[in-house]
Amino acid sequence: MIGINNVSYTYHVTDSEGKDIYREVLKDFSLKINKGELLVLTGGSGCGKTTIIRLINGLIPNYFEGKLEGCVTVDDMNISAQPIYETAAKVGTVFQNPKNQFFNVDTTSELAFAAENRGEDPKDIIKKIEKVCESFRLSDLMDRSMFNLSGGEKQRIACASIAVTDPDIVVLDEPTSNLDDKGIEDLRDILIKWKSQGKTIVIAEHRLYFLKELADRVLVLDGGKAVKELSGKEFDSLSLEETASLKIRAVDEVYKKKFGDEELRSLLKSNGTIDVKDLSFKYSDGVHGIRINDMALPKNSLVAIVGNNGRGKSTFARCLCGLNKKAKGTVDFEGKEIPLNKMTDRCFMVMQDVNHQLFTESVKDEIMLSIDSNDEETCEKKAKEAMEVLDIGSLSELHPMSLSGGQKQRVAIACAIASDKDIIILDEPTSGLDYYHMVEVAEVLKKLVKLGKTVVVITHDTELIDECAQCVVKLKKYLI
Amino acid sequence: MDFSIQTFKTGGERALLDPRTSILAIVVIGAIMMGGKLSGVEYVLRVISCMIPAVLLFVIKKYKTATVYFLFMAVTMILEGTAVQITSGSLNLVFVIISGVVSRFIPQFMMAYCFLSYTTVSEFIVSMEKMHAPSFITIPMSVMFRFFPTISEEGRCVMEAMKMRKTSKKKPSLTQKLEYELVPVMMQSVRISDELSQAAMTKGLGLDRKRTHICKVGFRLIDYVMIIVLLTCLALFIIY
Repeated sequence: MIGINNVSYTYHVTDSEGKDIYREVLKDFSLKINKGELLVLTGGSGCGKTTIIRLINGLIPNYFEGKLEGCVTVDDMNISAQPIYETAAKVGTVFQNPKNQFFNVDTTSELAFAAENRGEDPKDIIKKIEKVCESFRLSDLMDRSMFNLSGGEKQRIACASIAVTDPDIVVLDEPTSNLDDKGIEDLRDILIKWKSQGKTIVIAEHRLYFLKELADRVLVLDGGKAVKELSGKEFDSLSLEETASLKIRAVDEVYKKKFGDEELRSLLKSNGTIDVKDLSFKYSDGVHGIRINDMALPKNSLVAIVGNNGRGKSTFARCLCGLNKKAKGTVDFEGKEIPLNKMTDRCFMVMQDVNHQLFTESVKDEIMLSIDSNDEETCEKKAKEAMEVLDIGSLSELHPMSLSGGQKQRVAIACAIASDKDIIILDEPTSGLDYYHMVEVAEVLKKLVKLGKTVVVITHDTELIDECAQCVVKLKKYLI
Repeated sequence: MDFSIQTFKTGGERALLDPRTSILAIVVIGAIMMGGKLSGVEYVLRVISCMIPAVLLFVIKKYKTATVYFLFMAVTMILEGTAVQITSGSLNLVFVIISGVVSRFIPQFMMAYCFLSYTTVSEFIVSMEKMHAPSFITIPMSVMFRFFPTISEEGRCVMEAMKMRKTSKKKPSLTQKLEYELVPVMMQSVRISDELSQAAMTKGLGLDRKRTHICKVGFRLIDYVMIIVLLTCLALFIIY
């Protein structure tokens, strides 16, 4: 049993000027988690759910600096008082970002890593790995480089590496935020398996649909307090209206609106088209890839691209942007036939990890960088306009890297506007976002369409599509 | 040339060379290539040691890289053996500089690249332990091992992002561009290392107990052959 007893926690960080910042996240928080229970912690960003995960796995107080009052106990151990490697034997952790949780580069070593650290007999470790390999069906992932796995495959390895040491408690910190549908499905299977083995599972997560009929208890947090406690049954039957009023993501993955071919056709007729022609691309395996003979996207509208395979979607986005050198094909745009590799002049992509595309020292410089003009005044004017559209004028002198994730994304979108490119592509803009921020993104996307841009959103977020998309294009039929 | 580093084995294979042999190779090749003269015995030693990475690249099936490297080195070595010897004055200087840049720095770099390609992080940790290296050296160095491929992956993403920012009128200078690209790569590296250390801690790294390991590390015939070749070269290099 896990007990969090009257815990208050204040993070202590230093800002860029060396000033101390104290941020209280939990205040006098108590929670009991029963053995074998699957508990879901949800709520907006900064609600304290990740902090609770860190309290249970011992990263607080062993890694994060801050002020901790009260104590966390697992069975009879006082987690807050013992070294973290003692806790490691009892609690396994799956982190948010699949690519940054492996100490090793190859999968087999990673599976062995935790057991090796505990000094177990190599023969036993190999036996355990073989067993886990079988029950997790990992044989095709063994002896592979981490850098050649998809996000979902990495997260499976992360779960399996925990299963090798077989702890009683597993905590997961937003495990699906970088996964596609297939990856989420696999994760759900693993959770079912663990639950049947009687493990205690605590998940902090925004996305909720995959936990339907699985959660025993759901806590909705806000500002470090539990604002609503739901039993598994109550959670399963939450309607879209109820989840929206609780400001959490939907429990069901269903479209409220209808997105048929008819909507697409009428948009194509009224707005004109962007024609993707003879696009072909093959992955390095030489078998799989994308082939599009003719795909018409409506101009000046908000198109959602959906499809089961995350890899195909992102690849399509990169092809359309001209970033994929090996892709062949043309795009008919405003009466001109543009080869794909020239599309960088017309397209701007807001990447899933927006950290890759912020280069300069201030938000203003960042936006000015993408303006195609040498005239200082024109640049200033355009940058100001772009910042106004996205409501980030107050941030203009700040360093982009010091902003929150949502603000960074807005800066990147502002760059897209300032660059005067006609097509703006967003790759999974709402992955890992809570309800409130998802709605915010939807509003921004609508604004882009009003400005006359063609917005292409690569996503599998049905709520986002409901909020803002005008039509949906399924990529499935174009994949080989 | 493809500089992505893919450290993985198929079917539980062991590293081509023991990490200790590989490190020795980097040191010896580095010493001979950087410090060797362009004539006599030392020239022969230089030819031999710069070909070692080519052979290894070939063995680990990086044919394209191996061929490119081999051709580069062959041309350089022939230049050093002929053109540099018979020319004089400023023409000689041109040849010395061109061949020197390639021959004095590239071979040890390629050897390190081979080392990173066929050695896993855990093999490296184990061999460092066998050499009784203290953990405050082993752990940071093993993290570095993990970092080379990470940085090359991050760099690729950042360069793509930069491409999208290209404007026809404004042309940032090379240094400016480098600075722009370096910032996100470095910020990402900090973030990744932060997340990595958290993950490693929750997996019990840093436990006082002695670590065990499932990978097999130890000298085999090929290591002994390699060590003899390397030490002979080094001995000849010191004597002459």
